[in-house]
Amino acid sequence: MEPVKINARQLFVLIVLFEHGSSIVIPLGVGAKQDVWLAILLGLTFGLLLFFVYYRLHRYYPDAPLTAYAQDIAGPWVGKILAFIYIVYFLYIASRVLRDFGELLLTFAYPETPLFILNAIMMLAVMYGVYKGIEVVARTGELFLTFLYLLAVSGFILIISTGLVDLHRLQPVLEEGWKRVWKVVFTETLYVPFGEMIVFTMLFPYMNNPKKMKQVAIAGMALSGINLAIIMTINIAVLGADVAARSTFPLLDTIRKIQVANFLERLDIFFMIALIIGGFFKVSVFFYAAVIGTANLFHMQNHQRLVYLLGLMVLLLSIAIASNYPEHIKEGLKIVTIYMHVPLQIIIPLCLLVAAAIRRRSFKQQ
Amino acid sequence: MLFQWGLQKKQKEKKEPTIQQERDQSGQAQDVPREPIHSLLDVNLDIIRHTTGNSSDIVIRRFTIGQERSIRAALIFIDGLADEKNVYQFLLEPLMAATFPISLSSKDTLSFVEKKLAAVGGIKRISHWFDLFLALTSGETIILLDGMPSALSASTKGGETRAIQEPQTQLAIRGPRDGFTESLRMNTALIRRRIKNPNLWLETLKIGEVTQTDVAIMYVKGIANDDIVEEVKKRLRSIRIDSVLESGDIEQLIEDQTFTTFPTMYHTERPDVVAANLLEGRVAIFVEGTPFVLVAPALFIQFFQAVEDYYARFDIATALRFLRVLIFFLSLVAPAIYIAATTFHQEMIPTQLVIAIAAQREAVPFPAFVEALVMEVVFEILREAGVRLPRAVGQAVSIVGALVIGQAAVEAGFVSSAMVIVVSITAIASFATPSFAIAISARLIRFALMFLAAMFGFYGIIMGILVMTIHLCSLRSFGVPYMSPLAPFIPSNVGDTLFRVPTWAFKERPRLISQKNIVRQGEHQRPQPSSINRQEENEGEQS
Amino acid sequence: MKRKMAMIFSLLLCAITLSGCWSKKELTDLAFVIAVGIDKTEDGKYMMIFQVVNPGNVAGATQRGGGSGGVPVSIYKATGDNVVEASRKASNKLSRLIYYAHTNLVVISEEIAKEGVDGLLDALERNSQFRTTAMVVIARHHSAEDVLKILTPIDKISANQIIKTLQFSEKVWGQTLNVRVGDVIHDLDSAGKAPIISGVEIVGAVKKGKRQTNVQASEPDARLNINGIAMFKNGKLVGWVFGETARGVLWVMDKIEQTSITVEWKRKKEAVAYKVVRAKTSVAAHMKNGKPSISIRIKAEGDIGESLVPIDFTNPMQIFALEKKIEQTIKNEVVHAVGKAKKEKTDVFGFGNAVYRSYPREWKKMKHVWDESIFPQLEVNVTVDAFVRRTELRTKPYIFGQ
Repeated sequence: MEPVKINARQLFVLIVLFEHGSSIVIPLGVGAKQDVWLAILLGLTFGLLLFFVYYRLHRYYPDAPLTAYAQDIAGPWVGKILAFIYIVYFLYIASRVLRDFGELLLTFAYPETPLFILNAIMMLAVMYGVYKGIEVVARTGELFLTFLYLLAVSGFILIISTGLVDLHRLQPVLEEGWKRVWKVVFTETLYVPFGEMIVFTMLFPYMNNPKKMKQVAIAGMALSGINLAIIMTINIAVLGADVAARSTFPLLDTIRKIQVANFLERLDIFFMIALIIGGFFKVSVFFYAAVIGTANLFHMQNHQRLVYLLGLMVLLLSIAIASNYPEHIKEGLKIVTIYMHVPLQIIIPLCLLVAAAIRRRSFKQQ
Repeated sequence: MLFQWGLQKKQKEKKEPTIQQERDQSGQAQDVPREPIHSLLDVNLDIIRHTTGNSSDIVIRRFTIGQERSIRAALIFIDGLADEKNVYQFLLEPLMAATFPISLSSKDTLSFVEKKLAAVGGIKRISHWFDLFLALTSGETIILLDGMPSALSASTKGGETRAIQEPQTQLAIRGPRDGFTESLRMNTALIRRRIKNPNLWLETLKIGEVTQTDVAIMYVKGIANDDIVEEVKKRLRSIRIDSVLESGDIEQLIEDQTFTTFPTMYHTERPDVVAANLLEGRVAIFVEGTPFVLVAPALFIQFFQAVEDYYARFDIATALRFLRVLIFFLSLVAPAIYIAATTFHQEMIPTQLVIAIAAQREAVPFPAFVEALVMEVVFEILREAGVRLPRAVGQAVSIVGALVIGQAAVEAGFVSSAMVIVVSITAIASFATPSFAIAISARLIRFALMFLAAMFGFYGIIMGILVMTIHLCSLRSFGVPYMSPLAPFIPSNVGDTLFRVPTWAFKERPRLISQKNIVRQGEHQRPQPSSINRQEENEGEQS
Repeated sequence: MKRKMAMIFSLLLCAITLSGCWSKKELTDLAFVIAVGIDKTEDGKYMMIFQVVNPGNVAGATQRGGGSGGVPVSIYKATGDNVVEASRKASNKLSRLIYYAHTNLVVISEEIAKEGVDGLLDALERNSQFRTTAMVVIARHHSAEDVLKILTPIDKISANQIIKTLQFSEKVWGQTLNVRVGDVIHDLDSAGKAPIISGVEIVGAVKKGKRQTNVQASEPDARLNINGIAMFKNGKLVGWVFGETARGVLWVMDKIEQTSITVEWKRKKEAVAYKVVRAKTSVAAHMKNGKPSISIRIKAEGDIGESLVPIDFTNPMQIFALEKKIEQTIKNEVVHAVGKAKKEKTDVFGFGNAVYRSYPREWKKMKHVWDESIFPQLEVNVTVDAFVRRTELRTKPYIFGQ
């Protein structure tokens, strides 16, 4: 544990940036076609329920991260294994996000550059940030969130003023009923990005004002959910559900369509900035959680020494996890969801919560 | 023990003899006698002469005090440092005219002189050589009496100093015209004149084992955060160095981090800026011999705040603030963006423009990066030449430079005119940044970003800026986060950052700097049109 | 600390030295393809035509002499079995890298359009350099190659000439449509709408048009002319509409911004010119007894531009009467356009999409037979509201007094 504290606003900023992360650029929940906004908002609702599970757990152990109280609840042996699994999970997701990010850059701007180099540069920045600590990352976030918002608002204005938005493309609502929406919610949007809030159980102990935490986290998640829903809706309204579903990066396609005054066009750079900022914070949060978890598990005082080793691991892992982009996406949607997200985001935390509640009660009775 | 030339890093660990040895080897410094002042005047004067190497500017005036029972005495002062007129009028005259009461024992002579005869303000008794020489070299006059094992030092500091002039840096169209001078006393007085409050506290210490430079810490008690004041004092006290010639010497020894291009202390030549900073709870550090006063803690945004922002109305000030931040950014990234756009991201330039640039670059034999680098370096050379040269020659340099860069190079086809435009914009932008300290750091980072742009295009630039931002956020100045109040975001202080709210809305001092006493002004300061005037106007119309 | 620094430094060094600036491309190494043409060769292969800018010869961009000497664009061509192969092949003729990011125009020959544009656009959509905001036109009567070879006087780059003509002509005249690659792909992708693309033709002597002398005459020997809208069905060109019928198409698609409509008055044909300044069309689908119908509602606002007959514009009743005539004229245009589309059995207006939006379940059933059996029999109701808002600087025309 670092001896630092982050305030409520910083937690909010981190959550918002984290939730946007890579989600704004990937085709999030496009399986639901024009009902994607419903899928995202429902994902958010269930994500909030999951968050309450994490929050209750945190209330039982306000000063400890997940990896520490797992050991307390499940006993030293099982707990250590659980903590280790979570650390590996965080590292793996960090490298997945890094891979996403590298692939995106590679596809749209740097086709000849090796993936490793692009990822390595990003990872260097992440390592630098995490080395400096969560406080610095959070402060950087405060600066960049404002910037990202300015960017988003100006992008939005440009899209509107180009006359790209055709609201007809959002109709018909619920074309195939609720079934398609629920399917997307429970296979995609619930876990990414909302269920990934599990990683914040590692950061909650750093809050200097635990009272505000619940409302801040809910506000952060809600804001991100609404933003993501708006962004994906705009994508659909601009591109149409079919093109958006076929697109590797719908937001890029949308931004490419902007043409204002024969001068403000080809604004890929907008996209790139959003991409890099989002990717950086998402990787940083996961990576930080992994580093802190490892330091905690092996009782190390200083997390900084771990940054190099684990950073290198994330980097190498990001290259090694898949041989091509479709495989990478497929893994993400199928294997990772079933074997990682569901047990680690839902089942284990629920079990831990039940166990903790029972233990608490029996303590009280004694 | 204190005159040490050439202090070295490892010296701390070494034992006394080694230092002795080094000193002897250097052969420049004589030991100040360790023993207390002798009681025989002649011996004392010999020691003074010997220690100062018979320096010609040391004036030793021997005379006798008293008619019946005369005592031999001497006045010693340094010509040019002490005010000669004062010495003769207020020390020598009364001393020579004095008569001692008969009852006076010879032991009390010195205190009699101290109490009755010396007609100057500050007078101190000295019994050690070290103190004597310190007083002497600071411009005081030493009075030695025969048979007394101690001396008197009378404050007669004076001599020629530069008069108060308009500051050379940080010019303002509106605002006070006085600037600091090399004299510490005059500088502190300039602040005292502005803040007439007993809570304006001043502490002086001497830094520099050889130079014994006066360094003064000034703060407003009750507004300044005590922890920060303590921290400043602690850092100043821990300085062990032979010489302090400018506030920069101090700055580099007490700043939070060395490996950063960003200044974590603010320096200024303007008393009004220092006064304003003191009232925000900052600490000012004055150094004898330089008009540049250090202010700590310094925040990033402070370097974009020009004095005039506060004297001009808020709307204009806000517009200018925005402009300055934009300018800073421009001077940071303009050449990098040019490189990235022309070598990686040709698609983002509008078609017409890209064709125009391509046409210009047809004949240019260098890659865009080399072109940009050469032009930037040439510009830096010109600037450096312009700064150092005498004013008359400096103009010639700029003319030649303009011709070389602006015209000949383009006509010869070595560089494209688009590049010249970019370099010029960068150059002007870097001059327009209000603080030279931050403009110079932008200069260094600009080159780094150019390299990154040449390697990875916009990705490189964005990553560079990202890392720079992380770095900025990790900096602290005397414990205060450098990027505050933006990160961490402090809503009540944001009014004086990228924009400036009207003066009546400046309700609070910077939170992190002045942690206790943050209320700056009363409620309801917003001006309202007076109703009385309106009535009069109406009456006027009627009549 | 030192070890860490060394580690970071070495990593950075690796990144720098290993990165041989892969994606770097100097401006002088790029051939800016401003327009792409696609033709069919006699042996059934694709021929790609690239209109490449010579930056040094484009007026305004020249600094040191040159300029007037050369032509602003050069044409390169290559054949291949598919678009990617052809475009790669062209590199043995070009001293620079073919760069598509500034390709703003795609010219497809009529011949290919008739065979189908289905597969053609995939390569363009997939390529990250290429923009789907590029415009598409069909070369009528001539090959795409000829169209791209014509030199034009005002806009030195002929692709720009075509693009600007398309834009302004749609805006002020409304008989042609500027269609982007993205739109075509979107239409091809959706079952309820077929794509339409404007046509470009060469007027004059094609051969002379390719020489520099073409731009030195006050009346060029060959000009490029935007004319007609091609209707597609299943990705194949099936027919053209021209003139007012073409405008009818634009009315339905809500693409009319400004145009000028002449109406008859008291049996005098083309007597009054009505300038449309604002127009809005809404299309709605209805379902009655399982049978879909479409209602089109057009609202137009405009001024009187010209009157060859004496009408008293100070009299509101006269204006109302005129408005009725205008409404009738617009309605006729629309009905003609719809009729033509029904005849070709291709839903270029997107009526199918309108049905889909309002009645997704019913649409699912009729989706596959829409073009063939439902659309040609579709009931289309057109209502037009035209308003004459102002009469510009005069009220009554001067012939009124005679």
